[in-house]
Amino acid sequence: MSNEYKITYKTENTYDNWVNNAYWQFLIIPMENNTQHDVNVEFSNSLFADNEYSINGFGFKTIRVHPKIKFKQINFEAQFSFRKDDIDPFDFPLDLDDTLANEKIKEFDFKIDFESFLKRTPLTTLPDGTSSIFIFDPSNSIFKNLQNLNHWTFNHIQFKAGVTQVDTELKDVIATRQGVCQDFTHLFCAMSRKNGIPARYVSGYLNQEHGLIGDSQMHAWAEVYIPLVGWKGFDPTNNIMANTNHIKVCHGKDYKDCSPLKGIIYSQGQNKTKYSVKVQSQQ
Amino acid sequence: MANIENQIFSSYQKNPELYDEIYDGEGKIKEVYQKLFDIYGEHSISDYVNLNSKAKSSFFNQGITFQVYGDNDVQEKIFPFDLFPRIIDPDEWDIIERGSIQRSKALNLFLWDIYHDKKILKDKVVPIDLITSSANYLDQMNGVNPPGGIYNHISGTDVIKHKDGKYYVLEDNIRCPSGVSYVICNRTALKKALFGVFNHYQTHTVTNYAENLLELLESVKPKGVDVPNVVVITPGMFNSAFYEHSYLAKTMGVELVEGRDLFVENDFVYMKTIKGPEKVDVIYRRIDDQFIDPLEFRPDSALGVPGLFAAYKKGNVTLANAPGTGVADDKAVYTYMPQIIKYYLNEEPILNNVHTYHCSRPDELKYVLEHIHELVIKPVDEAGGYGISIGNTLTKAEIEKVKLEIKESPRKYVAQPIMSLSVHPTYIDETESFEQRHVDLRTFTILGKDKEFVLKGGLTRVALKRGNLIVNSSQGGGSKDTWVLKKQ
Repeated sequence: MSNEYKITYKTENTYDNWVNNAYWQFLIIPMENNTQHDVNVEFSNSLFADNEYSINGFGFKTIRVHPKIKFKQINFEAQFSFRKDDIDPFDFPLDLDDTLANEKIKEFDFKIDFESFLKRTPLTTLPDGTSSIFIFDPSNSIFKNLQNLNHWTFNHIQFKAGVTQVDTELKDVIATRQGVCQDFTHLFCAMSRKNGIPARYVSGYLNQEHGLIGDSQMHAWAEVYIPLVGWKGFDPTNNIMANTNHIKVCHGKDYKDCSPLKGIIYSQGQNKTKYSVKVQSQQ
Repeated sequence: MANIENQIFSSYQKNPELYDEIYDGEGKIKEVYQKLFDIYGEHSISDYVNLNSKAKSSFFNQGITFQVYGDNDVQEKIFPFDLFPRIIDPDEWDIIERGSIQRSKALNLFLWDIYHDKKILKDKVVPIDLITSSANYLDQMNGVNPPGGIYNHISGTDVIKHKDGKYYVLEDNIRCPSGVSYVICNRTALKKALFGVFNHYQTHTVTNYAENLLELLESVKPKGVDVPNVVVITPGMFNSAFYEHSYLAKTMGVELVEGRDLFVENDFVYMKTIKGPEKVDVIYRRIDDQFIDPLEFRPDSALGVPGLFAAYKKGNVTLANAPGTGVADDKAVYTYMPQIIKYYLNEEPILNNVHTYHCSRPDELKYVLEHIHELVIKPVDEAGGYGISIGNTLTKAEIEKVKLEIKESPRKYVAQPIMSLSVHPTYIDETESFEQRHVDLRTFTILGKDKEFVLKGGLTRVALKRGNLIVNSSQGGGSKDTWVLKKQ
């Protein structure tokens, strides 16, 4: 079964003073992969500047806008329509013998091949003395441990918008135990990496029609690499496996590799930005 | 001995502990220096005072200056030029040249490997955290094939002669090594001041650097480009090496640009000109990785060009040196150079490495902490001689401070025995006489797909303060014209 999705992404930017020169780069297009097909993009801006499609350093599609006139306000609107297959997160033998996988993650070559998603970044560094707040149980399978981690992260942090920023480090998240999907995901990734399981930060959209928790803007979750199984998505904000409601845009080491909007604005003074994202699906 | 009568050198004090470049083992003037020594001896010291001040003002008038960072008021200074040249005989040069090429090639293969199969890591020849904990490793370069397979198009190799008479490499500079313009200016200045001396020596020219650099840059053009448009990009006139950037652009006959002169459209790079946009194909960039593109790297960089990295990755523009090259320009990687050369080229290193202690290794850290007074402590990722501590010049309090810094972040530091750099007669303003001063040599190597070139000359840097071992211009060094003699 597949679902027809339609996503509308809007942002309005107003500036106190004239902006003479500006660049924006949007990393918001649902990626094409084995469950997301026929992605159609309609993108417009209120200044009728050209929209350039490009690929960023990590291989994901971006939209770049560079208006050639000065302005005080610019609005962007993107519409994406695509098909998304139903995902069964448990489409692998759950009783898989883990001996091989456990050997694999200890191999030196494995550590080198997955180095990017095993290393600590400033946003995924556990503060001293906290690495044992969650411990993998060696008698469990890797998958079971990750499920427990997902559950633990969900319980350990209270979802609350406005407490953290996109660049909040884990020491603050762990201290306040409050945050949003980025923080849940950073914590999950840090714990997984500490236990030798490659984990990557995923940025995308969440279909909230079925009551899932997320930001009103973009959502974040994690993908971990389980040897012999492959990359599997976990959404610690909702204590579930990523499923048909998770629409992936890109992945990276942490939020910094995935920030949905980068702007280089040559102007002084204050600015205001408003976002809205609407995700609709039809079976 | 005839030498004694030489008035210029009559008061020259020779410290027997030091290796003096112009004397042989028996205290006699080396054959290659004899003629020069005699000619200089025909002049009086007041001639030198005169010539010296003329040379200085000539540098100022040409705007050949640099800036020193860290002082509150940024000052433009000339790079002091010494009138007594250094001579390197053909056989010695042969070793330096072959050694420089060997290192550049090995580093290039190393860079290719760590951004592709990572074999050297898997074979445990180089430890993985050398790469993963380096701020200069760019994940974005994984799997990227730079045109011609070249990363370090331009390298600057710093070599010294130790008191054992052998050459040792201190550093491989492969980010944006500077100094080549001084090589050429020094030659011009010396010719102006003492033209006659050149009649007695068959010296290799140094003015062919620009043509070789341009040839290299054109050879790594993007696919499908017939005659590439090459530019030099500079951080701007406040950069310490701005003179050099403008000099290289001028002598290659290409445009010198700043980030704001370029823009990217549909993944192609253009230069703004009064005749409209002009496509750019090859960029010799003198801006560090983190600043080249605010949309990909540091967003606060006003020096770069938004979208440049995407254009590079798509193969529409070539950057020299390639982004991510800096990971191999790391003092910790340096210490593995003998193994790196052996691994990729199956050759023994032609130039020696200085033995290095890694503070990241517990046993070596222990040794370093106990022997700071006889070691040089270097941060692994700083350029330009910043942050270096020389053990035997430190006070007790300073030693404790250094120890503390090392203990806090051992990965950040390496230590080496204090090398005794060779000395060379150098004219000293304050005493109006020639004195021994420590020197090193930076060679400039150009590496292309089917091309290797080492500028036959290089920059001899002089530590002008008596006893000082740091020769960087930012640390109060000067320089000398360096002659590589032709084979007879």
